[in-house]
Amino acid sequence: MTQPETSFDEMIRKRGNQAIAEMTSFREKLALIALRMVLTVLTLAIGVFSNSQLGQADEPVNFDRDIRPILSENCFHCHGPDAADRSAELRLDEHDEALKVISPGNHSASELFVRVSSDDEFLRMPPVDSNRSLTEKQIELLGQWIDEGAKWSPHWSLTAIEFPAVPSLANSSELEFENPIDLFIRKRLAEEGLLPSPPADKRTLIRRLSLDLTGLPPTPEQLQEFLDDDSAEAYERLVDRLLSSPHYGERMAWNWLDAARYADSNGYQGDRERTMWPWRDWVVQAFDENLPYDQFTVWQLAGDLLPDPTFEQKLATGFCRNHMINGEGGRIAEENRVDYVMDMTETTGTLWLGLTLNCCRCHDHKFDPLRQKDYYSLFSFFNQTPVTGRGGDPQTAPVLAVPSPEQSQELAQLQSELKAAREQLEQETEELNESDSEEDSSEVEDSNDEASKLVKSLEERIEAVEKRIPKVMVMEDQSEHRKTFLLERGLYTALREEVSADVPESLPPITEEMLSVNGNAETRKADRLTLARWLVSDRNPLMARVVVNRFWQQVFGIGLVKTPEDFGVQGERPSHPELLDWLAADFRDSGWDVKRLMKRMVMSATYRQSSRTTPEMIEVDPQNRLLARGPRYRLPFWMIRDQVLAASGLLVRKQGGPPVNVYQPEGVWEEATFGNKKYKQDHGEDLYRRSLYVFWRRIVGPTFFFDNASRQTCTVKAIRTNTPLQTLLTLNDVTYVEAARVLAEQILTTKTEGDVEKLHQIYERVLIRPPSELETKVLLRGLNRSREEYGDTPELAASLVSIGEAPVHSDLPVVEHASWTALCLAIFNLDETLSKE
Amino acid sequence: MDPRLENRLHTTRREFFGRSATGLGTAALGALLSQECFGSAESLGGLPTLPHFASKAKRVIYLFQNGAPTHVDLFDYKPLLGKLHGDPIPAGYVDGKRFSTMTGDASGKLMLAPVEPFRQYGESGAWVSDLMPHTAQISDKLCFIKSMHTEAVNHAPAIQFLLSGGEIPGRPTLGAWLTYGLGSESANLPAFVVMTSITKNTTCGQIFYDFYWGSGFLPSKYQGVKFRGSGEPVLYLSNPKGISREMRRGWLDDIAEINHQKLRDFGDPEIATRISQYEMAFKMQASVPELADLSGETKETLEMYGPGVEEPGTFAHNCLLARKLIERGTRFVQLMHAGWDQHNSLTTELYNQCRDTDQASAALVQDLDRRGLLDETLVIWGGEFGRTPFLQGDFNNRVRWGRDHHPYAFTVWMAGGGVQPGISYGSSDDLGVNVATNPVHVHDLQATILHLLGIDHEKLTYRFQGRQFRLTDVHGHVVSDILA
Repeated sequence: MTQPETSFDEMIRKRGNQAIAEMTSFREKLALIALRMVLTVLTLAIGVFSNSQLGQADEPVNFDRDIRPILSENCFHCHGPDAADRSAELRLDEHDEALKVISPGNHSASELFVRVSSDDEFLRMPPVDSNRSLTEKQIELLGQWIDEGAKWSPHWSLTAIEFPAVPSLANSSELEFENPIDLFIRKRLAEEGLLPSPPADKRTLIRRLSLDLTGLPPTPEQLQEFLDDDSAEAYERLVDRLLSSPHYGERMAWNWLDAARYADSNGYQGDRERTMWPWRDWVVQAFDENLPYDQFTVWQLAGDLLPDPTFEQKLATGFCRNHMINGEGGRIAEENRVDYVMDMTETTGTLWLGLTLNCCRCHDHKFDPLRQKDYYSLFSFFNQTPVTGRGGDPQTAPVLAVPSPEQSQELAQLQSELKAAREQLEQETEELNESDSEEDSSEVEDSNDEASKLVKSLEERIEAVEKRIPKVMVMEDQSEHRKTFLLERGLYTALREEVSADVPESLPPITEEMLSVNGNAETRKADRLTLARWLVSDRNPLMARVVVNRFWQQVFGIGLVKTPEDFGVQGERPSHPELLDWLAADFRDSGWDVKRLMKRMVMSATYRQSSRTTPEMIEVDPQNRLLARGPRYRLPFWMIRDQVLAASGLLVRKQGGPPVNVYQPEGVWEEATFGNKKYKQDHGEDLYRRSLYVFWRRIVGPTFFFDNASRQTCTVKAIRTNTPLQTLLTLNDVTYVEAARVLAEQILTTKTEGDVEKLHQIYERVLIRPPSELETKVLLRGLNRSREEYGDTPELAASLVSIGEAPVHSDLPVVEHASWTALCLAIFNLDETLSKE
Repeated sequence: MDPRLENRLHTTRREFFGRSATGLGTAALGALLSQECFGSAESLGGLPTLPHFASKAKRVIYLFQNGAPTHVDLFDYKPLLGKLHGDPIPAGYVDGKRFSTMTGDASGKLMLAPVEPFRQYGESGAWVSDLMPHTAQISDKLCFIKSMHTEAVNHAPAIQFLLSGGEIPGRPTLGAWLTYGLGSESANLPAFVVMTSITKNTTCGQIFYDFYWGSGFLPSKYQGVKFRGSGEPVLYLSNPKGISREMRRGWLDDIAEINHQKLRDFGDPEIATRISQYEMAFKMQASVPELADLSGETKETLEMYGPGVEEPGTFAHNCLLARKLIERGTRFVQLMHAGWDQHNSLTTELYNQCRDTDQASAALVQDLDRRGLLDETLVIWGGEFGRTPFLQGDFNNRVRWGRDHHPYAFTVWMAGGGVQPGISYGSSDDLGVNVATNPVHVHDLQATILHLLGIDHEKLTYRFQGRQFRLTDVHGHVVSDILA
């Protein structure tokens, strides 16, 4: 599609009349059914938007909201920040420069307007061959803006974050809500003529909340406790309990591992295994302990440069080293090294600035005020790494040894033994030298030999233990400063002018106190720690907005800014700009308190709404950007897996440690690597660990986590598709069938009366509610059908209940067990089970 | 996707199911919003603005030769190489050019004659090596492009560049772009299928990274579905042992009944999609094994593809499946065959590669032709770059002769799908080192492929990270001289 993507606001505003134009041009072959559909859309859209449509005409044009997107999409490519590609020496991204072709107050005297509205195809801008064109409405807006004085304002995300006023609602008597989130959301709903949805019931809420905060469904006991608590504080108590659950950190860590491109192998050819998992465990711990997000940032980017860094601060810098490593033969080391530093630079740009820095590898940014020079200035911070890019060792120094407590103990023991043995040896050697009689001498010699053997064997044992200790690649700066040059077209061989470590010129500069001490303490320098300090400082307008938006996406499904990776001019504008700024300012001023932010979001009435929707709501707001209903979407597959393990009772809640190889179809690694990597499935409790601990082979990721980030480069956008391949997984994979089998066994061996009661119990464990009448009817019909079928084919029943390695503890009749297994599997495959509701 | 279009798809889908989803038969059409439900059976999904113009080709089979076949030993005949055999490379050919670290500075390297003789074939008089006897026989159906050149000198970046237009993973590949743009023509099989193979006993296989068929920033439903060479062709395809197809049918109906209730109650259009995907999965459980079943093929056909055709995972087997997929409406079939990386095996493993791919490639073109499918199907054969016309290794040790990576000139061939048959386009210099006439850059090849499918490569774009991306980046010219 070459037509420009409209901003969300614009889309909502224009929907009424745009829908008509588009729908009628939509393919000539529409049959009657489609025409009927069009009519419905029109009726609904016009009905809902008539108010806001009328109100729009009188409103003055807002440059940042209405005009910059038009200029950026259509003009900046040739008249923007990129000096190399600029035509006619004209730039329209800066006010002074733009005034060369604009006469404020008079659109017809403005060259800009004349050119965009010209009928002459040689004069008209954008040029015909650019594949870009302005709509009548856009031209009209430009004219109106010029007539209103062509006022300029900076791009929203680059302005300092200030607390916007929390709106008060006219009919706030209806609202007992004090959560500012609700006030902002409801103000917008009122403007659009929409009503919020009623609160979801308690059972829906506890499931939604437990999944959101721990990634696991509530246990029957937790459910009962919540249902029994009739007090007004019941919900808040539940929130607090979940926030302090040991599973909270595991849930929060997942998205960060996706963002941080965490994996258990290098990627590329060879794809050697690495041991970065102690860093993964640190992330879990950091979220559990609610490490303030500014420290979370500083430690990971520059913990090694902090004064007297702790073990954990050094470990945290493993973040930077999570990039892929290319060990392909024939690769030039420096090319690799530059790739790694670029990856660190761009990952930082995405996660703390929300800027698409990668564009500036090769040229000045086409849209945002970022020059190629700015890219290499940021690159310089990471360019002091001593890593050379040679070889593919997944433990390329600098590394940090992270022994387990047992290993530490073993090592300490061996070392003290070694010390004693060495002393002994030394003493005997002395004796040997001093002894004069030959007889004595030979006796001492023997003993001396023995002592030296002992020393040698202890040294070997120590070496063996040290070899077993996982080593995490971490950050250090080399002592000699490496010069950084702008690389033409991003080529590692095309060195151009030298640049120094700095932040982009268009953002507030580094201050004196952010600089680090330089060696002899006489001078100060800008290093990675400086960059980290600057990122978390109040001067950086982006970090708080970008981070809050990612957490919002995690809870509500879509960010307030739908493009979490791009807060630049071409990114989407926030659906609720004031709310985003309010949350960002509050998050920052709270001391970057993540649990407080999470709590504020899930405590909101907005979050607690029912996710039921109506055709009207779907027409008006299909993606639920206005939040007139609660979030509803398919759960991530890692969570779907954890959910069925938990519901069946198979889940092993052990935390941390080396990754595990759970069930995966045979031959997947082998086929991808020509047999070089053989998948050795683990057994016993390792099969039932949480998804977080599943081994992540970078060139061929786990086959059972659809839509997940590939963990090859930094990814922050949530992807949710709906394909038949996913369906085959949850219907046929041994993980799901085994969980169904174990759940069936549990229910059948619990003292329960009759099928209805048994079904009830299964529902309580999976969907946290009793089945409806229809569900009971349909599922028990299916159960009886299965009983008949398996009654005729008991060998099939026996096959089904033997799937998976979990032992069968009972001597249930196989036909009964198999029939209930099939029923449980069906429940695992209901849309509601797969969804957060 | 344009959000307005996205909303329209949402709306249409919801309306469709809201009004007509009374039974499973209709729901099955769902996922890829079907034009069929509006009375035309052209394609499922795809952009309403495509194709941009009428085209012959509707489908593509890309026979990707992973590892970079040696152009000067197979299709690009250079008699001068024979004359200079063992001499240092003459001045002026490689000055200042970058090669892999294995070669480093190329000056002074010794020239190496083709390992087998070439002969001329057919009316077109194409020169083809004795290593490729079957391809030689169909050379009048082929269009050789002998002036290909690329930018990367290592496998993974070069393959990614050829398939996605960018060296670094993250962009959609050709098949994903086509599926996104043109949609699917099959309701029971994926629109974009990938199969891989490797010659037995080959030591120099390159890894098949899944980003070679990735959808990049396009929604992941456009990524290639990899059919596996062993075990089930599609992961998780079979019912668990202990659940028969009839039992599964029964439970799927139960699941659907409850999901329909949910849809009525909650109104979330994703539920309708999910219902249809469960149906699609059920259909695939039948259609994929049917595809893999070769019992309907005649003995003559099987023999035509050559030995190994009945053995899953071989190139010949994959070629035959490719034809069956094309017959059933799959849009893009990407076969990847590894093992062409002859750094030191020009006189050994190269022979195996040719033996295992030559016959089946030629058979595929002929088989499509006699079934009347070649006109609508574009077949492409080629690797990610060429190999050095000079020697890698010791001149006196023939058994270990090899050639290094060479991005400056290489050959691909195309057949069918609106390409002129029996021609050769462009040329390399007299030693096969650099392009001499009519250079075709990777982006030009991509632009041409899209053109053959009725797509203006500058207009098939997708917005990501604030800008419109396309397969050809900001480059690419259609090679109009090869269009039929």
